[in-house]
Amino acid sequence: MTKLKLDRRRFLGSAAAVGGGFALGWTVPGTLEAFAQKQVGDAGSEVGIWVVIHPDDTTVVRIARSEMGQGTLTGLAQLVADELDADWSKVRTEFVAPEENLAKKRAWGDMSTGGSRGIRTSVDYVRKGGAAARMMLVAAAAQQWRVPAGECVAADSVITHATSGRKLRYGQVAAAAAKLETPKDVPLKDPKDWKIIGKGVKRLDTAEKLNGSLVYAIDVKLPGMLNAAIAQCPVFGGTVKSFDAAKIKAMPGVHSVVPVGENAVAVVADTWWHAKTALDKLPITWDEGEHATVSDATIAEFVKSGLDGPQAALGQQQGDVDAALAGAAKTVEAVYGTPFLNHATMEPMNCTAKVDGDKCEIWVATQNGDAALAAAAEAIKIKPENVKVHKTLLGSGFGRRGMTDYVRQAVVIAKQVPGKPVKMIWSREEDMQHGFYRPITQCQLKGGLDADGKLVALHARLAGQSILASVAPSRMDNGVDKLAFQGWLADELGYMAVPNLRIDMGVRNTHVPVGFWRGVNHNQNAVYMECFIDELAHAAGKDPLEFRRAIMTKNPKHLAVLNAVAEKAGWGTPLPEGVHRGICQNGGFGSYCAAVAEVSVDAKGKLKVHRIVAGIDCGYAVNPEQVARQMEGSFAFGLGASYFGRNTVKDGRIVEANFDTYEVARMADVPKIEAHVLASGGFWGGVGEPTIAVCTPAVLNAYFAATGKRLRTLPLSQHGVV
Amino acid sequence: MRGTRSRTRRGFLRGLGLGAAWLLAAPWRARAATPPPVTPRIEVPKDPAAAIKSVIGDAKPTKGKVALDMPYITETGTSVSVAVKVDSPMTEADHVTAIHLFADGNPVPRVASYQLGPRAGRAEVATRIRLARSQRVIAIAQMSDGRFWSDTREINVAQGACVDDTEGTLGSGSRSPL
Amino acid sequence: MSEVVSRVGVPRKAKQGEIIEIRTVITHPMESGQRINEVGERVPRKIINRFVCSYNGVEVFAADWFPAITANPYLTFYTVVTESGTITFAWVDDDGTVYTASAPIEVT
Repeated sequence: MTKLKLDRRRFLGSAAAVGGGFALGWTVPGTLEAFAQKQVGDAGSEVGIWVVIHPDDTTVVRIARSEMGQGTLTGLAQLVADELDADWSKVRTEFVAPEENLAKKRAWGDMSTGGSRGIRTSVDYVRKGGAAARMMLVAAAAQQWRVPAGECVAADSVITHATSGRKLRYGQVAAAAAKLETPKDVPLKDPKDWKIIGKGVKRLDTAEKLNGSLVYAIDVKLPGMLNAAIAQCPVFGGTVKSFDAAKIKAMPGVHSVVPVGENAVAVVADTWWHAKTALDKLPITWDEGEHATVSDATIAEFVKSGLDGPQAALGQQQGDVDAALAGAAKTVEAVYGTPFLNHATMEPMNCTAKVDGDKCEIWVATQNGDAALAAAAEAIKIKPENVKVHKTLLGSGFGRRGMTDYVRQAVVIAKQVPGKPVKMIWSREEDMQHGFYRPITQCQLKGGLDADGKLVALHARLAGQSILASVAPSRMDNGVDKLAFQGWLADELGYMAVPNLRIDMGVRNTHVPVGFWRGVNHNQNAVYMECFIDELAHAAGKDPLEFRRAIMTKNPKHLAVLNAVAEKAGWGTPLPEGVHRGICQNGGFGSYCAAVAEVSVDAKGKLKVHRIVAGIDCGYAVNPEQVARQMEGSFAFGLGASYFGRNTVKDGRIVEANFDTYEVARMADVPKIEAHVLASGGFWGGVGEPTIAVCTPAVLNAYFAATGKRLRTLPLSQHGVV
Repeated sequence: MRGTRSRTRRGFLRGLGLGAAWLLAAPWRARAATPPPVTPRIEVPKDPAAAIKSVIGDAKPTKGKVALDMPYITETGTSVSVAVKVDSPMTEADHVTAIHLFADGNPVPRVASYQLGPRAGRAEVATRIRLARSQRVIAIAQMSDGRFWSDTREINVAQGACVDDTEGTLGSGSRSPL
Repeated sequence: MSEVVSRVGVPRKAKQGEIIEIRTVITHPMESGQRINEVGERVPRKIINRFVCSYNGVEVFAADWFPAITANPYLTFYTVVTESGTITFAWVDDDGTVYTASAPIEVT
């Protein structure tokens, strides 16, 4: 179970499932007491920096990354616990406080949780952390027995001296082990010896979510806390010209009205409702800036110009695609497009902050504890050493909570209300209209087939917005945003056997802020590629699976997953009347995925997805059950977005304000998903994002099979099919 | 003193943290003098070790005398406060002639060079710099006796969640350019 | 480029031999050459690459700047108070434009 640490000096164990055997427990949810963990007798012993062991064998694994439902918390604990040879039933977790990571010069490594990297970039050092702790515990037992450590065996939190049969529990030697030096040379287990890694163990954070005891950032309540509602300029890039605080100062509960940076105003009150009610009545004059006339139409035209323009950033190329297209027996051309999308996290942006002089404390849901700490320090120009961060579990992140805008705002507000904690919550409208959207893009694809119907030339030209130009220009590769080509560069594209290939892009950056949306550019790129490959297959008169196989000869891992999923879906076997199949594959975030969708379309043209069979090869799967759940969850998120998701722009601002106009999937929209974890071992691939790329193209291709109509733009709702 | 004021300009200057005292002095409208001929841009090698060599030659600075003060962590790296203090009497006989700043992970690894002398009184500068990724910042002091001294500080750019920092020079086993 | 404004902080009075802190800032985008415009092109470098401080015409402090210096560059340094007069400042843009400012100093 997770734990939020209040006192930086004492790392305390956390509660088992509510009602379980420890004296600790969450008390009233949402109150300060929920953060104050009572000590269980003696405090635990730190055996290396990753593990704390209590006298009763409770084993606390320290977690540096964030947990947003993707299961990384449990997975990381499994990695440590297996090498530690701990009894899994005794394992709990606690977050490393970012200020502790800073004080120890990032001894716990990168806290950032995104890019499907939480497990795969931690595996080496967290396993070593567990293994080192085991070595120290064994050494301590061996010392106590005065026997060679080599004669001792550790399993399930118990050390046994093989020759004499004597036993010591971890809890009995932890204090002595903590005094030993951390070993330098730490061998790791062979994967065949894993007992916890690779098992579908139950997650450690489920119970508290089900019984309501979990305190999310939005639930935080602190003594004397005030609440803030914020309004940012509706037009991106605009600023506050003036506001008339006097008009609302006398409204119920209002404490103060404060500017927040150049583009926002906040009302601070006793309750959030009072703050929001007053904010709605606050006269604010905006300077909407130069983008106030931007609309969907101007954006579409601007983006389209990137398809035709000569200047393009190159992703990759091989052969001579222009000559090959000119000489092809048959060519196919199509233009696709996808819209801006909000992350629409369940928990809207919020952060609680308290500023006392040059010190600051924040309670926040973030995908990067280090970044939140640094952002808080920089927002009010204090030393990073004077910032404390309480990390909570996230009510969804999807990439939105890697941004720190809401952290900076809360801290800037709190600085103007010194000494009092202030919880700032964005309304759903604020959240929907001030996101970091999935970028808008269009794509023109041209394919050339030879006389045998084989794909010999492929040119994909993207046009649209670069995320890195907006968020992290210093990460660009000589001015080129390589992330825009996700799924299509040589390390990810499953069709490297196509002899003539060009992937390029006409960058068109609008004023709408963009960011990383779960799956990032794989989402639309897989739609463009996999639907166009399907178009080519049909033009060639070939089965879509066969057509792909012929050009996947250089990509055995992609092909293996595609074949496995096709087989499990029964590709090629007869289907019930009116049901049709679509197939697709994608490589991304170090993993390989494929999906087959079965759909029917009724007399009114409405689409129904009956079944999706999907698979991922992520190399090693720390928790196969969790990997399967991630596949399912990503489909619920991805299909919903493809069905209904669209953020439109009018007068420089986002139009959709809430879930009435930005719909998400409902239970009836998500079909039965058969999720297959095809972990082939030997590498660590990402899990949180790769699969989202394959749900939509499979459905779109199946729709074509059912109707003969090709849908090339999303969302599907605009075509009247959902 | 004269100059024009605007609300946003005042806001900008206040935002720089310069304090109320600055607002008492009227701002100078910087006047453009007759432009002299454009001096050729100083070319900086892309490799940080080469960049340092282009400034101090083959000299090997000794660690010491220089104190480079900067935060260990920043979120975006777009504005990082840096202060350099060099322990020197700043007399005619014994003074700092230059302080050079480098950033070994930036596309242009040279940051600034400050020319000083006995009239400086103190060999101290403070400024704000941009850092592209997690890396090391190196301050090298050049002395009147021809010797070089240095200090190096690591800084982590902890940006976001989805931007991979593995190309940064920290943690990737890369050696300091010094 | 919009109007460039500089501000310098120099004590109006100081004692002979005192070491004073001088604070300077100038509005300037300091275009690093790394930024990307709306059509994906790199915005060319245009920075202030040289700063010179003179005391009654004698150069007492100078700096060469490179693209890592932030927009609206801020710089503080020290100088020894020698006599009454004028301290002048010059910022030189890549394109050759020179921005100047000055502040009087009275020795007490």
